[in-house]
Amino acid sequence: MWVSPIDSPEPNRMPLGLNLFSRRPGFDGGLFLADHKAVTARRPVEHVPLPHTLNIPLRHRVDLHTSIFAQVGQRLLGGELIAAPSNPDSIGVHAPTSGTITALSRVWSGHDGYLPSAIFTPDGADERVAAQVAWEEESIIAMLARGGVMCCNPREPAHALLRTAVSAGINTLIINGMETEPYLTADLRALVEMPGRMVDVACEVADALGASRVLFAMPDRHRRIYKRIAAESIARFIDVVALPDKYPQCHPIMLAKTLLEIETPPGGSTLDIGALVLSPGSLRPMADAIFDDRPMTHVVISIAGDAVATPGTFRVPIGMRFDALGAHVGLHADAPTMVCGGPFTGVQVQRGDAVVTSSTTAVLFFQATGRADPIGCVHCGWCVEDCPVGVSPVELSQLELQATCSPHLIPELRACIDCGLCTFVCPSRLPLAATIARCRDRFANTAGEAS
Amino acid sequence: MIAPATAISYPRSAPFTLGGSGHTEIIRSWLYAASLPAMAGIVLFGRSAAILIAASIGSAVISDFLLDRLTRRRQRSDTLHVVLLALILALTFPAQAPWYIPAFAAFIMVTIKTAFGGISHCLWHPALIGRVLVQFLFSQQLGLTFAGAPVMAPVLAPQHLVNGRLEIARKYEMSEYLGWREAGLETQTAQAFETVRPQQSLRLFADGNIPQDKGLWKNDPPLRFTPLLRDYLPPWGDTILGAVPGAIGETSSLALIVAGLYLIYRGHLRWQLPVAVIAGAALAAALMPISIGANGSYRWVPALVLEDGRAVGLAYVLFHLTAGQLLICSFLLGGEMLLSPLRARGQFLFGAGIGALTIFLRLYGPLDGEGYWAVLAMNSLVPMMDHRLKRPVLGMDE
Repeated sequence: MWVSPIDSPEPNRMPLGLNLFSRRPGFDGGLFLADHKAVTARRPVEHVPLPHTLNIPLRHRVDLHTSIFAQVGQRLLGGELIAAPSNPDSIGVHAPTSGTITALSRVWSGHDGYLPSAIFTPDGADERVAAQVAWEEESIIAMLARGGVMCCNPREPAHALLRTAVSAGINTLIINGMETEPYLTADLRALVEMPGRMVDVACEVADALGASRVLFAMPDRHRRIYKRIAAESIARFIDVVALPDKYPQCHPIMLAKTLLEIETPPGGSTLDIGALVLSPGSLRPMADAIFDDRPMTHVVISIAGDAVATPGTFRVPIGMRFDALGAHVGLHADAPTMVCGGPFTGVQVQRGDAVVTSSTTAVLFFQATGRADPIGCVHCGWCVEDCPVGVSPVELSQLELQATCSPHLIPELRACIDCGLCTFVCPSRLPLAATIARCRDRFANTAGEAS
Repeated sequence: MIAPATAISYPRSAPFTLGGSGHTEIIRSWLYAASLPAMAGIVLFGRSAAILIAASIGSAVISDFLLDRLTRRRQRSDTLHVVLLALILALTFPAQAPWYIPAFAAFIMVTIKTAFGGISHCLWHPALIGRVLVQFLFSQQLGLTFAGAPVMAPVLAPQHLVNGRLEIARKYEMSEYLGWREAGLETQTAQAFETVRPQQSLRLFADGNIPQDKGLWKNDPPLRFTPLLRDYLPPWGDTILGAVPGAIGETSSLALIVAGLYLIYRGHLRWQLPVAVIAGAALAAALMPISIGANGSYRWVPALVLEDGRAVGLAYVLFHLTAGQLLICSFLLGGEMLLSPLRARGQFLFGAGIGALTIFLRLYGPLDGEGYWAVLAMNSLVPMMDHRLKRPVLGMDE
């Protein structure tokens, strides 16, 4: 019988010499994709030079209300509050460096559309407020709230997410280092450059949650990073698990299924099965807030894509414009397709003045190729074969033309995790994933409220 | 506020990179695959095979163009796919058929495709509908009768491949025909040999119409399979090469297998389907009873028969696998993406059904073209298979 790496007496041994004829943990469907990471995975995180002005959004998400705290024309030090949260679930916005607020405006963000913003002019001195690391006085959740830390998946303020997790009674914390989406390397670089810090903050978060079990999932091809994480986590009650990097193994629901062998009910999150999944991209600002008392003013994102000359992983201040990023890395194409987020889960941004927000994980630039017109379904069955959750994308996408949805299809609509593989493999170039998402908005969400 | 229509450029949706083969690439690789048995047919049956293929494709393309104009559909049909279907259709005709028969069948095929509203809405394979309709309309010219009666048909001699004329044929009684290569050494005058198609010999045998031999010794049981294998069937190697009479594309098992392996390698055909067809056919041929003697007695499980210590039952099963329409149905006709089930487990069931039905119709059916009827019958079950054989959805307890 195959011994799960989680239950084995030596949890830090990499499970390479597996028994060939036993069941592997994993899921049906999914694909091993060309990952396009060969260049960016080896480059260390670089700092993007500060632009002349930053257009800092005053909300981290459109429903996280804040009230403006600083005055227009006031000089702020790095780390000082610009906008304070208006309610306990919200988080504040901080100045990334020293400078002045010149005006209040609005700004376009990839996920939320227009947000109120402050135009901030750095003065180049980069003075910061003194850090107050006060371990005894504050709980970690309060430190995260003060630091204005936003998690990228799910898009929740970190302190609210941890509070929800505590009240949901979770017992497992999963650190999701998989990052199987192509082009994305920010999480991988976090594991390469600061393995000790990642393990430290994972332990702190697990203590705050009261999680009895911490699992650290890693792609099994990065053996040396695995060794380092495993060495860091010796005697710290963390199980490091190496998994094949089949897409969408990086999705929290698939990761929970692989590691815990519990299936999340359709439409639910992993909190429903007692697990919280956090990615290194979320742990990094948490570590800054907890250990260094530095608020979340920068994000570490991948800037890549086939239109980028020098792709890499960059530390970017929140409020920097996309076209400035494109100019920094150099673009091959005149009018590339700009994507905020990963190539399978992100959204296209059609305006160059859109800015990086706290939930941006990547900015990708693709050559704008002509889209082939979709034709009728050719019944190849590739979408049902590769679907990781086992729904029938063809059947669900036909719901768009119908007025009603039969009740047995509603759980299938909710079970879709928006991984985008069905569109990726479709030989007819049908936009299956987008159609399913639309149908879910139309049928599943309203039906859920009614029942 | 209404934005001007020209200013809108809709954002693209989530996967910004697309992978895998496109629709055109799939059809192109299917065309490459189908051209392999077509080439084998032209080599083995000469110019008349080429004429039939050209007539079928030409008629299909022209009638598709005209029907597209006539129906004024917004979405034009895919000409490349029509060419592929017409090529596969031509492969199902015997080479001595007159050229207007495949042309008419191609016209029927395109009409049916248009009537269903496009190939993706067809329930049954349109090429096969054309084929079986023409079989009724032109049974005289096609030399097809009800399945029990054997009809002689020609194949080119080894010295006269590609260039020979099927009309200059020498008729062979099955018992004097030693095989394609041996017969070719004997004669220089004829350019083709006329013999009986192997699936018809198998049918004769299943009906009990092949006389049995006496055993070597007085008390030995009579030999039933030995006269079939010795006198009524060509060497097994001939059915692999395709040097037996039959339809253009269906005789050469070698070309069909290579074409199928190419499609499986490209990922445009799932291996489960042809494997299931062949396994289902082998199982059916091994189990299904054949009549022996004149008093209506049957022999079940013919695969287990031994005569004079030779495993003649297994040889009988092997002939079933390489004769007739079984292989073209497993690779080119049954494997058609649009008309086979979505999921691998459905394809397995579908394929096994095709294989078993083909053998059943070959042994007991009233009509010629047993494989085509089998594919059409299984095609009508595809929607039910798609509906019933789903994978469990993540997180849903069934």
